[in-house]
Amino acid sequence: MDIRSERAERSPGLVILGVAKSDAHAVANRLIEMQLRQHGYDVVNLGVCTPLEDFAEAHGEHPEAVAVLIGSLNGHALQDLADLPALRAAGQLDCPVVIGGNLSVGSHKSERTLERLFDLGVERIVEDPADLPRILKQLGRPRSRSRTDALAVGRHE
Amino acid sequence: MSELIDLAGIEVHPAVAATLPAWSDIVDHLLGPALPRAVDSLRTAARRGIPLIQPRSGVGGHGEMLELLEALDEGGPGMQSVTIDSHTRLRQFRTAELMLSERPDELNGYPLVAHGWRRGRELTRASAVPLEIRHGSPDARDLFAVALAAGITSFEGGGIGYNLPYSKDVPLRASLEAWRQVDAVCGRLAEVGVVIDRELFGTLTAVLMPPALSLAVVVLEAVAAVREGVRCLSPAYPQGGQAHQDIAALRCIPLLARRYLGAEVEVFPVLHEFMGVFPRTPDYADALILQGGLVGRLGGAAKVINKTYQEAYGIPDADANLRGIRIASLGAGELFGFVTIDESRVEEEMHWLVRETSELVDEVLAGSDLPADIAAAFRAGRLDIPFSASVHAHSRVVPMRDRSGAIRLADPGRLPLSGSVLRRQARLLEAGPGAAPIPLIDQVGADIRHFLDRERVALAGNTRRITTEGEP
Repeated sequence: MDIRSERAERSPGLVILGVAKSDAHAVANRLIEMQLRQHGYDVVNLGVCTPLEDFAEAHGEHPEAVAVLIGSLNGHALQDLADLPALRAAGQLDCPVVIGGNLSVGSHKSERTLERLFDLGVERIVEDPADLPRILKQLGRPRSRSRTDALAVGRHE
Repeated sequence: MSELIDLAGIEVHPAVAATLPAWSDIVDHLLGPALPRAVDSLRTAARRGIPLIQPRSGVGGHGEMLELLEALDEGGPGMQSVTIDSHTRLRQFRTAELMLSERPDELNGYPLVAHGWRRGRELTRASAVPLEIRHGSPDARDLFAVALAAGITSFEGGGIGYNLPYSKDVPLRASLEAWRQVDAVCGRLAEVGVVIDRELFGTLTAVLMPPALSLAVVVLEAVAAVREGVRCLSPAYPQGGQAHQDIAALRCIPLLARRYLGAEVEVFPVLHEFMGVFPRTPDYADALILQGGLVGRLGGAAKVINKTYQEAYGIPDADANLRGIRIASLGAGELFGFVTIDESRVEEEMHWLVRETSELVDEVLAGSDLPADIAAAFRAGRLDIPFSASVHAHSRVVPMRDRSGAIRLADPGRLPLSGSVLRRQARLLEAGPGAAPIPLIDQVGADIRHFLDRERVALAGNTRRITTEGEP
């Protein structure tokens, strides 16, 4: 089977991908890279253990990016994204930030974690990587939507 | 780290060098009559045609490590491991020392540099069989110096295999130079009659590794090692789970050694029992461990690194490891001596594997500066591995299992493979008639979880067993 034949004719855009600062899970990161490339996206993959500043720097180099996708599988997403408001205030990372990983929805505790992630300025929270292409399409052109809107969408996905 | 002490050609941190005995003492100890040597055990296993079994093992405390080695000796391993903690792997020797004094239980291995070479010698006396250092350091020069002083005669790693799966951003030139120095010391020792076994970590990222990529990496590391005078190599290949493919890959190792390494070096193929997502039930886990032993024997491995039924749940306890040693040993032994394999199918795989490996390495080996040429090939994607933790490999290759369970290339990325190789890979991955298309990420994910699915099917109807009995 030639997976390349499934790719879109024209690139739907560029995505900056990486794993949060304290997290070294490479396999899921590479799988998502494969999946996005298969859907035609250009991917700048910053890899494991990437501090938020490095995402900001990459976005400075690729301001056309559709989104910054940050994987977090080790439960430290809040700490690893703590600087997002400060970076945004400094005019950096002015594009949708999407978090993905093992953030289980349902329990009281994780529900609060999700809200706090949205408070930090995260645009979307994705649990199933298979949803990513659809969600990226919904994001459209760079510029974040309102927090409440994002929260509502996040809850209903 | 600016000023390094030159110890017989290897640059060592001054604080580490200051603790070491004189070079002549190190050599005398390595030549001592009582010291068990890895190369002797490997030769014996190769001669018998039955692989020796070696467990992984490493705990922080010295007393606990001595006890563990003594306990595992009961299982009859042919070699034993001293697995090193993460801090020592990253040359954070002070942190390792601090943790050793305050929270030794939290170390995920034995901090040999912090313990020092004298305690290392005690380890070699605790076990009846030779020891090997297993770690994952892109730069293991200090660790190697201490290991030599301890009288440890086998050392795992290489400039590619101990970089790309373990480090995010260590340039390949840097790791290859650090390992060149390690190999050069082995060369010097060989001249005075001390043969150090150098195992090469072809397992790489341990997940769905296409055999040709594993073989290509160990061939390149082996060529670099032999050029520095290394006389004993143990190239390791990770069990993928399809027996014909695994046996073929192991049997390719001596063929490739004859083609690329010359006659000066002894080469002992090693099988690492399945390193991916492991079955969760003791029943199925044990069966896979048994199969690993058998595949190792049929593939001509001199050594099999065993797994344990607790693999799915973390680092095994000593009892589980003992059972793993015994079961792998039974699989490799005379009980299954009657088992033969479809030789024509294995030969077909071997034909293609040798060809694929050559297509990957020949151009790199044709250059005049091997470390630079290896780094350039990875930079260009002409060498690549899936699921790299390092930014210095593209990871554009996409591996996938065919319907027999063998690992193939669904996307070769920029690997310089010929049209006939690529056509065969594509043909083998063709879906069966009427099969519904599956998204790539789901297919690769399912292939990673291959043995969980097979376990569920095999044990269906016996629901009591599909629990977490293996959890320690």
